[in-house]
Amino acid sequence: MLKYTAKRLLYSVLILFFVMFIIYTLMYNMPMGYVETKARELASRPGATKSYAEWLADLNAQYGMDKGVVQGYFVWLGHAVRGEWGDSWAWTLPVTTEFHNTVWYSFALGLISFIFEILIAIPLGITAAKKQYSFTDYFTTVVSMICISMPTFFLATLLKYIFSVKLGWFDLSGMQGRNYMNLSDFGKILDVAKHFVLPSITLIIISIGGLMRYTRTNMLEVLNADYIRTARAKGVPEKKVINYHAFRNTLIPLVTTLGGSLPGLFSGALITETLFAIRGIGYASYTSMTQADIPFIMFYLAFISILTLLGNLISDLLYGLVDPRVRLS
Amino acid sequence: MANQYYLNDALKARAASQVKEENAEIALDDVSRVKVLSPARQVFKRFIRNRLAVFGSVLLIVMFVFSFLGPLFYAYGQKQIFYKYDRRTVNYAMAKENTTYNGYDIDESVTVERSVNNAMNSRIKSMIADGRTEMVELGESGGYLIQKLADEIYTLSAVDLTHICSVGNSTAVIGTYSQVTRAIDYRGAAVEGLAEAIAANLKGTSGTVTYEGVTYTYTRAEAKNYTITATFDGLRYVNAPMDTGFETAMNTALDEGADSFTYRAQKYVLVKNGNAYDVYRQGKAAPARVFTRLTADTFTMGAPVSTELRVNALLAAAKGGRFTADGRDWTVTDEDGMLVVRDESGSEYMELSVFSVRRYTGEDTMDYDLKKAVAERVEEMLSSGVKSAAMTYNLPMQGESGEYLYDENGVLRYQEAELKLDQRDTGEFVITAEQTIYVIDIYASPSARHILGTDGDGFDVLARIMYGGRISLMVGFVVVFLEIFLGVIMGGLAGYYGGWVDMVIMRLVDIFYCLPSMPIMIILGAMMDALRMNTYIRLMIMMAALGIMGWAGVARLVRGQILSLREQEFMVATEATGIKVRGRIFHHLVPNVMPQLIVTATMGMGGVIITESTLSFLGLGVKHPLATWGTMINSVSSASAMAHYAFIWIPVGLLICLTVIAFNFVGDGLRDAYDPKAKR
Repeated sequence: MLKYTAKRLLYSVLILFFVMFIIYTLMYNMPMGYVETKARELASRPGATKSYAEWLADLNAQYGMDKGVVQGYFVWLGHAVRGEWGDSWAWTLPVTTEFHNTVWYSFALGLISFIFEILIAIPLGITAAKKQYSFTDYFTTVVSMICISMPTFFLATLLKYIFSVKLGWFDLSGMQGRNYMNLSDFGKILDVAKHFVLPSITLIIISIGGLMRYTRTNMLEVLNADYIRTARAKGVPEKKVINYHAFRNTLIPLVTTLGGSLPGLFSGALITETLFAIRGIGYASYTSMTQADIPFIMFYLAFISILTLLGNLISDLLYGLVDPRVRLS
Repeated sequence: MANQYYLNDALKARAASQVKEENAEIALDDVSRVKVLSPARQVFKRFIRNRLAVFGSVLLIVMFVFSFLGPLFYAYGQKQIFYKYDRRTVNYAMAKENTTYNGYDIDESVTVERSVNNAMNSRIKSMIADGRTEMVELGESGGYLIQKLADEIYTLSAVDLTHICSVGNSTAVIGTYSQVTRAIDYRGAAVEGLAEAIAANLKGTSGTVTYEGVTYTYTRAEAKNYTITATFDGLRYVNAPMDTGFETAMNTALDEGADSFTYRAQKYVLVKNGNAYDVYRQGKAAPARVFTRLTADTFTMGAPVSTELRVNALLAAAKGGRFTADGRDWTVTDEDGMLVVRDESGSEYMELSVFSVRRYTGEDTMDYDLKKAVAERVEEMLSSGVKSAAMTYNLPMQGESGEYLYDENGVLRYQEAELKLDQRDTGEFVITAEQTIYVIDIYASPSARHILGTDGDGFDVLARIMYGGRISLMVGFVVVFLEIFLGVIMGGLAGYYGGWVDMVIMRLVDIFYCLPSMPIMIILGAMMDALRMNTYIRLMIMMAALGIMGWAGVARLVRGQILSLREQEFMVATEATGIKVRGRIFHHLVPNVMPQLIVTATMGMGGVIITESTLSFLGLGVKHPLATWGTMINSVSSASAMAHYAFIWIPVGLLICLTVIAFNFVGDGLRDAYDPKAKR
C-alpha cells in the first residue's frame, strides 16, 4: 500500500512536470509583445518606479523569457518549487495573496454544492434503480440527461432571468447587496449567503445529473447480483435488502468517485463564478487569463493540475480501502 | 420414354411440394422457426425499441435539416442587415450668428505662417475690443499687417518690417559665444572687446558680465556655446543711428500712446516687447487673405460661389461698388448690414450676412426662402425673448421609404411641415422637424417578417440560429473525428505492441488527461484576440485544439479493448495467415472496438457543442459576424438586454440544450443496443 502510494506519487510528479512544461511552452509562445505591452503599461502607470526598459528586463528575467523554452522552464520551476510564484499583473498583488483572498469563496461555493449534490442525487438515483422502467425511472433519466446537457452559461442566464429579473428575489450578480456596509455582522453573512444561492443552484443542477446516473447504474448492477437474489430468496425484507445489502455495496464506487472529487472543491467554478461575479479563484483566474497575467495563470494551472492528480490518487487509494477485494499493487 | 424429362411435370411437382411445405406443421426444434437477424439489424431493432433514443434521433434529424437545409430555403442570410423606415423628430437645421472669422485667399502666392493665420480670429476680436483699425503682427519669419476694410471685413497682408531701434528697458540677444574659438558670432553690430571680457569672466553655466556700462548675460545653450543677451536702458539702434527728427517723432508717438508714426513719408510702427518698444520701418504690404464673419447665401439653391467671387465681393464692399470675378461683372451693395451681390443684369445672386442658416449636418442645401423665413422667425424670437417657437413651411415631401418625391416634371414636391425652433443655452437655434428616416431595424420583436425578431445588429435571429447550428454541429463532428482519429491510432499502437510503446503512450495519455482544457482554451482565445486573427482561422485552431486535448479518453478506451481482444483466437489466426501488423490492428482489432467508439463519439459530440458554445459565449471562440449559438446569447447577456430581449436568447439556449440532449439520448440508446448487458 505504502509502496503503491509512493509509486503513484512519483508518477504524478512526473506527469505534473510535463503538464507544466506544455503549459509553459504555450505561455512562452504567447504572441510577441505581450511582455513588452505589459512592461510599457507597468512603466506608464502613475507612480511607476521603474522605466520601460527596466520593467522589460525585469519581467523577462523573472519568467526566464530571455532564455530558451527549456531553460526558461527550469528557471520557472526553480522559483515555483521554492514557493516563489511572483506578483500577479492583473491584481497587482503577490500571487499567493490573491490566491488566499479568493480560494475560500470558491471552496464555500463548491462545498455547498457538493453537499446538496450528494443529498439530492444519490437518493434519486437509488429510487430510480429500485423501480427500473417505472415512470420515476424514466423521469429521473430524462431529468439527469437535461442537467448534463445544460450549458452552464445558459442555465445561469435562465436562473438570473427568472429569479432576478422576473421575480426580483436575488441580485443579478456580485457578492454583496447595496446596503452591505450598514448591516450587522450576522446580516452581512446572510447577505453574502443570499448572493451565493443562485450560483450554488447553478452548480448543483449542472453536477447533479452525472451523479444521479452513476448511482442508478451502480445500484442496478448491485441489484442484479447473485447475493441480492439470495437475500431475497432467504426472505430478507425488501427494505433490508435495499438499505443494508444493496446500498452498502453501491457505496463502494460512489465513495471512490466522490472522494476523488474532493480536491476539486478548491479549483473553483470558472464560468459560474464569472457570470455571477463571485470573487472566487475561478473568477480571478478567468480575469487573469483574458489579461494574460502569466504569473497568476501559471500558478492557477499548476494548482488545478495538482488537484486533478491528487483526485485521481485519492480515488484509487479509496478504492483499495473501501473494497477489501481489491489489492493495490 | 419413361426416362424422358417433362418440364411441365417437374414444375408442377415442385409447386405441389412447396404448398405442402408451407402447410406443414413446424416442429418445435425446427431451425426455420428462429428468425435470424444480422447483427446490424439486431442492434437497430433494439435501438428503435428505446423511446428516448428514437426521440433523440428524430430531434437530431430535425436539427440537421434545420441547420444545413434550412438556410437554403430561408429567405435571409446570416449577415443580412435589416432596415426600417421610422418617422422621428430629427434636427433639421441650425441657425446662428457666426462668431468666427473665416479666411479666404486673396493672393495664394503670398505665404502666411500657420500660427499667424490661426491666431487671426482672436486678433480681430481684440482689435474690435480695442477699437483699432490696424495692427502689426510679428511672425517667426516676418511681419504681418491686419487692416480693417469695413465692418466684419479684415485683410491680412505680409509686410516688410525693418527693425530700426528699441526704446526703453530692453533685452536683446546679441550673439553666440563659442568657448572653442573664443569669439562671438554677432547677430547685429559687433561690440569690440566683448569677447575678451566674457572669456575672462566665464564661469559656470550662466552669469553676468558688465562691459562698457552695459550688462551682458551669458547662458550655456549647448556644449561649448553660450547665448549672450544684453540689457539696454534707453534707446538702442540695431544698425546705424537715425537723426534727431526721427527721435522727436518717435517720442511724440510714444507719449501719445500711438502705435505708429510717420516720418519723412515713411511709416514706422511701434511694437511693444516686454518693457520696451521695438520700432520698425514699415515697408510694402502684400495682401494675402481676407477674413470675415459673413457667410454667403445664394438666391438659387446650389448656385456656385467661387473663392474669387467671394473675396472680390468682400474687397469691393469696402470700397463700394463694382468688381469683376470669374470673368463677369458684379455689383455689391450694403443693405442694412447685409451685402447683396448682383450680377451684370442687376438680378440678385447672393447675399453675405453674419447670420447663417444651415442644415444640421452643416451642408448648404436649404432654399433661400426657407433660410429667410427662419431668419425672420429667429429675429422675432430674439426681440420677444422667447426661447422656443414653431413655424410651418413647405419642405420636400418624403415617401414611405424616405425618398424625396418628384412630380411628373421632375420637380420636387413639397408639403407643409411643422418646424420647431429652440434656442440653446449657447445661443444658436436648432430647427427640428419630423422626417422619415431609414434606420437599422434592431431588436425588432418577433413578427411575421422576422419570426424570432432581429438582434442588436439588425440581423434576423432565425437565420442566425440556422447558420449558428451549422457551425456548432460542424465543430462537433470535426472535433470528435479528430479525437477518434488520434485516439484510435495511439490506443491501437499502445494496446497492440504493449511494452515500452504502451508505457510511453499511456504516460502521454495521463499528461493530456491532466491538462486543464477549459483554461487552455480560454488562454488560446485571449491569445487569438491579441493577434486579431481572422474568425475562420480561429475556428480551425479552436477545433484542432479541442481535438488534440480530447483524444486521451478515446486512446484509453481503445487500448483497454485491444488488450483483451488481442489474446483471442482470431488474432492468432491473423498472425498465422501472415497479415501485416497494420492490417491486424486497423482491420481486425479496431472494427471490434467500433461499437464503443460510436457510442463515445455520439456522447462526445454533445460535450464538444457545449464547450464550443461556452467559448463563443465568453467571446473567445468564433467571432462576431459569423453566427454561433454561443455568440448569439453573448450579444444579449448584459443585464438590461437579457431582461428585454428574451426572445433572442431563450430559443437559442433551448436549441443548444435540445441538440446536446439528443446526442446523449442517441448515444445512450446505441450503447444499450450494442450491448444490452453492459453497465449503463
